[in-house]
Amino acid sequence: MIQSLKTGGLPFLIPMLLLSFGVFIVPFGVLTAYSLTAGEAPGLFGNYIVFFSDSFNVRVVLDTIKLAVLVTVGVTIAGTPIALVYWHGSPLVRQTVIFLTLLPLLTSNVVRTFAWIVLLGREGPLVAMTNALGITEAPTTFMFTEAGLILAQTQIELPLLVLPLIAVLSRVDPRLVEAAQVAGAGPWRILATVLLPLSLPGYIAGWILCFASATTNFVTQTSIGGARQIYLPQFVYREVSTLFDWPSAAAISLILVISTGSVMLALAMLARHPRLVGHV
Amino acid sequence: MSVLNNKRRHLGKLAAGALALTLFAGQAMAEGSIVVANFPNNWEDAYRKVIKPILAEQEIDLTIAPALTTLQIGNTLAAKKAGAPPPYDALLLSPGDTAVAIDNDLIMKIDPSKLKNWDKLDPMFQTEYGPVVTVEFCGIGYNPDLVPAPSGYKVLFEDPAYKGLVSLGGLSNTEIMAFSEIARIFGDGPLDMDAVFELIKEKKDHLGPFVDTTTHQMTMFQQNEIGVFMACTNNVAKLQSLGVNAEFVAPETGMPAVPVVIHMTKGNADPDAVYAYMDAAISAQAQSELTAPPVELFPTNSDVELTDSIKRFVTKDKVGSFVYLDWVSVAKNRDEWTKAYDRAVKQ
Repeated sequence: MIQSLKTGGLPFLIPMLLLSFGVFIVPFGVLTAYSLTAGEAPGLFGNYIVFFSDSFNVRVVLDTIKLAVLVTVGVTIAGTPIALVYWHGSPLVRQTVIFLTLLPLLTSNVVRTFAWIVLLGREGPLVAMTNALGITEAPTTFMFTEAGLILAQTQIELPLLVLPLIAVLSRVDPRLVEAAQVAGAGPWRILATVLLPLSLPGYIAGWILCFASATTNFVTQTSIGGARQIYLPQFVYREVSTLFDWPSAAAISLILVISTGSVMLALAMLARHPRLVGHV
Repeated sequence: MSVLNNKRRHLGKLAAGALALTLFAGQAMAEGSIVVANFPNNWEDAYRKVIKPILAEQEIDLTIAPALTTLQIGNTLAAKKAGAPPPYDALLLSPGDTAVAIDNDLIMKIDPSKLKNWDKLDPMFQTEYGPVVTVEFCGIGYNPDLVPAPSGYKVLFEDPAYKGLVSLGGLSNTEIMAFSEIARIFGDGPLDMDAVFELIKEKKDHLGPFVDTTTHQMTMFQQNEIGVFMACTNNVAKLQSLGVNAEFVAPETGMPAVPVVIHMTKGNADPDAVYAYMDAAISAQAQSELTAPPVELFPTNSDVELTDSIKRFVTKDKVGSFVYLDWVSVAKNRDEWTKAYDRAVKQ
C-alpha cells in the first residue's frame, strides 16, 4: 500500500478521501459537536451524563450489545456449515451457494423483515412446527420476542458472514487438509486445527459486519421486536421524531457508534494479530 | 489517441446535456409543484386518488409524502435547524402537534379569502392556521373471529377472552386518546397517565404486543397476530376494504374525537398551490368521495351528507359533544409520558 502510494497511487485515493470527508467525517464532527454543546444539560458532557445517570438507558445500551453478540453467534453457527459446503462442493454447488447467499441481498430489508413476520406469527409455520413437536402450546407466537428477533436477524445478516468466509476459505490450500489426513487427523480435528484457524480472518471480517448491522437494524428491531424490546436505534428515532430532542439524539447516536465501534475495533485489532496475519 | 479524445469530447457533451436536462426538468417540476405531508396508509391512498387529480386539473403537481404527525414536525424542525427549505409545503396535524408547530414557528396563519370553500365550513372547523378537513372518531377496533365485541376499555384489561390479543401502540395521537379514556376509568382524570402506565405494568402478561404505530398494528391485525387495537373509524374502514374481518366499537365511556387540520409550512415553495390544495381538501367534490367507503372520513364541508356507515357512530349535530382532549397539556407532557411508557412496557 505504502509502496503503491509512493509510486503515484495517491491521486486515485483522493476522490474516495474527499467523499469520506464530505459525507461522513464532516457530518460526524457536526454531530459530535452538537452532542457536546447543544441542549439544556449543563457542562460539555451534560447530555452524556444525563443519559448514563439513568439505569434504564444503560440497560438499553447493554441490551443492544447483547442483541448484536447473540445475532453474531447465531450467524456464525448458521454460516459455518454453508461456507464449508461451498469449500467442499463442485463448481455447480459453489455457484448455487453463492446465488442463494446473494439472493436475500437483492431484496429490501423491509421485504425480508415482513417475510419473517409471516414466519414467526401465531399462524405461521414455525409455531405450527413447534406446537406439533410439543415444544410450545397454542396459542403462541415468536413475534415480539427476543428469540424471534434474533432468529430473523440471524438470517438477514447471514450473507455478511458467509461471503467473507467463502473468500478466505477459497484461498486455503487443499494440500494442507490432505497433509493433516496423511498425519492421521479425523474430519473434526481437521476442522478444529486446520480449517477454522485458517478461516479466522474471514470470521473476524464477518463478525465486524454482522455486529455493526445487528446493532443498527432499526427496521427489523421495531417490526419484529416491537416496543417491548428497546434498542439504541429506536431511542434515537424517538428522540428525533417524537420528542424533538436533537441534542439527546446526537449524544445517543455517538454512544451507539462508540459502544458498537469499540467491539468492532477490538475485532479489527484481533485480525491484525501476528498469529492471524500469517494465515491470509 | 485522437479517437479517445473525440470520445471524451462526446462524453463531455453528453454529460453536459444530461446535466442541463436534469436541471431543466427540476426547474419545470419546481413550478406548480408542492410536497404535502399526509398520514400513511388510508389517508395517503385516499388523497392520492381524490385530491391529486383535482389539483392536476389546475396544473399543480401534488406529491404526497407519508409521515405521522410527530415525524412531520421532526423532519420540518430538522430542515429549519439546518437552514434548508422545509421538506413539506403543507402539514397535516392534530391540535397537540399544531401547538408544537406554532411554538417552533413552523407554520403560518392563513388568509381565508384565498379559499373559495372556506364559508362552507362550520365555524368550529375554521382555524386561523388552516381548515379542519375532518374529525377522526376513535375507539376500539377488533376481530370478531378472535374476540367478543368489547363494551369499552375496561374489559380489555380484565376479561381472559382478550388475553394476549390486545395491542397497545406507542404514544401516537390515537393511542393517547385511548390512554386518556383509560386514565379516566382507572385513574384520576384524562391526564393521569401514571395510572395507565401502572396498569400496563401490572397487566403486561395479559396484554398482547406493544408496537410503535397504528399502521404497524394494522399489519399485525391482518396477520391475526392481534385481535384488538386502539383505532379510529377510518382505520377499521380501511381494513374492511381489504377484506379483513374488522369491526369498530364506540366505547361505553365516550368516543374520543380529534380534528385534523391542513397547515401551511413557513418557507413553502408555492403558497398559491398550498391554498389550492387546502381548498380542494375542503371542497364538496373531494369530501363526497372521501366520505364514501373505504375511506369514510367525516366531512367538514356543510354541503356533504354523511354516509350510513358514518351515521352509525356520529351525526353532525353531535360533533361538539364528543370527548376532546386538552392537546396543549398533552404536548407539554408527551416527553415525560414517552419515557415513562418505555419503562412500563420494556421486558
